[in-house]
Amino acid sequence: MKKDVDLLKKKSRSQRDIVEKAGSAGLALSGLVGLFFLVILVWQIAIPTVIAGETGTIEPASEFIPESDYVLHWDYPNIDDQGNVKADPIILELSWDDGQTVEELEIKVVSQRGLTEDVYIDENGISTSEVEVGRKTKFYLKSSLTEQIEVKQISGPVPAADETGAPTVSSFVVSIDVDVLVSEDGIVFQPIELAGYAVLLVTMIIVTKPSEKSLAPLQKLYGKDKHVRIGSIVLAIITLALGGITVSSTLAAIGWLLAGIMVNRTTEGMQRLEQQGRTLKEVDRLKHSISNRDGLLMWARMLLFASTLFIPLAIDIPFLTERYQDIFQPYSSGIRSAFFGTIWVMTIAMVVSIPVSIGAAIYLEEYAAPSRTTKLIQALVTNLAGVPSIVFGMFGLAIFVKQGGIGLGLGPSILAAGLTMGVMAMPIIVLASQEALRSVPTSLRESAYGVGCTQWQVTKDHVLPSAMPGIMTGSILAMSRIMGEAAPLVVVGAAALVLFDPEPLAGIFGGNVNFTVIPIQIYFWTSEPEHAWHSMAAAASISLILLLVAMNSIAIILRQHFRKRLNS
Amino acid sequence: MSEEIGGEIVPDSTRDLDIDGEVDLMIEDLDLWYANKQALYGVSLPIAKNSVTALIGPSGCGKSTLLRTINRMNDLIPICHYEGKISKGEVEITAKDADLVEIRRNIGMVFQRPNPFPKSIYDNVAYGVRLHHQPTREELDNIVEKSLSRAAIWSEVADRLHDLGTSLSGGQQQRLCIARTIAIEPDVILMDEPCSALDPIATAAIEELILELKKDFTVVIVTHSMSQAARVSDYTGFMYLGRMVEFNKTEKIFSDPDQELTKRYITGRFG
Repeated sequence: MKKDVDLLKKKSRSQRDIVEKAGSAGLALSGLVGLFFLVILVWQIAIPTVIAGETGTIEPASEFIPESDYVLHWDYPNIDDQGNVKADPIILELSWDDGQTVEELEIKVVSQRGLTEDVYIDENGISTSEVEVGRKTKFYLKSSLTEQIEVKQISGPVPAADETGAPTVSSFVVSIDVDVLVSEDGIVFQPIELAGYAVLLVTMIIVTKPSEKSLAPLQKLYGKDKHVRIGSIVLAIITLALGGITVSSTLAAIGWLLAGIMVNRTTEGMQRLEQQGRTLKEVDRLKHSISNRDGLLMWARMLLFASTLFIPLAIDIPFLTERYQDIFQPYSSGIRSAFFGTIWVMTIAMVVSIPVSIGAAIYLEEYAAPSRTTKLIQALVTNLAGVPSIVFGMFGLAIFVKQGGIGLGLGPSILAAGLTMGVMAMPIIVLASQEALRSVPTSLRESAYGVGCTQWQVTKDHVLPSAMPGIMTGSILAMSRIMGEAAPLVVVGAAALVLFDPEPLAGIFGGNVNFTVIPIQIYFWTSEPEHAWHSMAAAASISLILLLVAMNSIAIILRQHFRKRLNS
Repeated sequence: MSEEIGGEIVPDSTRDLDIDGEVDLMIEDLDLWYANKQALYGVSLPIAKNSVTALIGPSGCGKSTLLRTINRMNDLIPICHYEGKISKGEVEITAKDADLVEIRRNIGMVFQRPNPFPKSIYDNVAYGVRLHHQPTREELDNIVEKSLSRAAIWSEVADRLHDLGTSLSGGQQQRLCIARTIAIEPDVILMDEPCSALDPIATAAIEELILELKKDFTVVIVTHSMSQAARVSDYTGFMYLGRMVEFNKTEKIFSDPDQELTKRYITGRFG
């Protein structure tokens, strides 16, 4: 009997090991395949953002075509009136014989139109190593070789470059100019704004990692909390007065106030600590006695993070800040209007959908009695979350865009687009919020009812705060999903080409309703024949991805913050 | 009268309910169902003022259900319904139009698992007070300190009032929950196995606390530990299969029970 059991144990153990190994190997393999595809994806998006310049092949000549040719032209001169080369010289590399023979050809583009000269290639090689041609004037490379010739630009402005000679070969579509604090126009920040941020940063460091030394000066502020408060308010007002009502100065003013509050809370905590008969040497205990420490730190962190966004006055990314130029100047165009369009559509969608959806979720989870009607509504919501986005586009077209019937007649405007996107996000947010509310433990509800809360107090004070991380994550993920949607907006009527910044309320008050968003912009740019536009589309894709990453990071930060508050 | 269930002779709920002193709460003929399943059968029980009443019995006998009916916590369970009457003086707790907020304010509850709010220790205690009164900052500070002191936890948390309540150890959390309950000055405190998730030292602390609390409050405690019931309570009710088999003074129950079933349960010779 014992032997039988041992045998069984052995057998089951070997089987278990095989299954275990096969299972983990299979999982690892599928994981690697997944990663491989992700890397390829990122690679494929990234490659086109490096500008390739002129590339192509000259077909081999034959008895029917004794001379095959290759057309070239540059839009803007790279030679000034004195005959000097601006920026890098334009050099083409011609290679044949499997790379055995390599010849270089320098092209000088002058401002005089119509000047042209053809270049010949035969067994003896290239007829000239330098050619002078006019701007926007075609010239030919002609070959009588029976071999294929590879043409590749290795230096200088690309054919579609603008007057400044940008971009050049092998540069990126997106260029960044960083001037920290000081730009060509002078100082970007008011010194007092900078001081506000700095003081906030210092306070933050003291509160995060208090040490005896850093706390010593704060001891002098005992009992002076009023002075600190008034001082911070005065500094905030001065900041606003000097900087005017701009975002940057408003942020700095809030920074002063926040720093004031943090100093007061810290001194209060220190006093409390000393009343307990402890000394400031026990700095680790300080964090326990500063009220709302985590919350204050989070706001300070967010504010400092937001303040770095206002360096764009100093960080110049033409790709984000330039408008669409014209069809012949792809590289100097930017996604400004699409970028703003996306921001506005998202903002409107958020304002419309988040409060309503959270309300619906609370009603369904906390208030509605379980009945056939609630079940039906629940099923409807679940199904709506899976409806294809184009259908929401049709809905938006009927309800928001068109006039007459049930249509609101907003036209193909940002408002109509934002409302459509909001409606699309609603079921997703409702489901995520319901899930979050459901995961709030019953014991929390019971303890709240136990101290005599009404249902609304339980919901407002306990259930909602506990569910907040889940609700916020759900909302932000829904937002980042609709940010990438193009289909519904094609139906609602996003334009291919928008020359001006969008006007968010044009749907109601009249004005220019034209708008576009980044995904639509990408779609239209990829359908242009010119290769340059494809590079632009790739760069726009990367911008979109970065925007998504930023949004999701915010979701993660918020979730971590709230979770820490709930669990630690 | 008695009934035979699963080979066990189970008597009907007892009517022998004499207590010394003032009756704080009176439970009369309480029948309770979860959907179609009956959980309490005609339970009657007087709760003596400023004393500790313990409810003992095997798992699933309806102790917690009975306790949760007293402050109408069972109303949160949609499938639960009941008949009978619970009254506190003139106030009929089980009335349809009863003010649940007022009832729960007057009858506080401490749960089996410590469940402080995910707020600071200070706010945990202050929250209930703020709900029912508009105290000034100073009054609130006083109430918080007094409640935490009475729950015998003040010395441990005095210098970390702004830490999360959930960051305390299990025993401390349970005492915090008791502080939260006594901060709103209820008349009755219901305790649903308050020590079942705690180690012996924390249990001893809570038991000591219960003896202290009965000077000011009426305490009803559900417990699985018979020794605990013997140590802390003045009256004990033994429940079995939804019936109040026997109710009497604790000394009487533990030394000379009237019912055979009770005797077998407290001596540990039970199914």
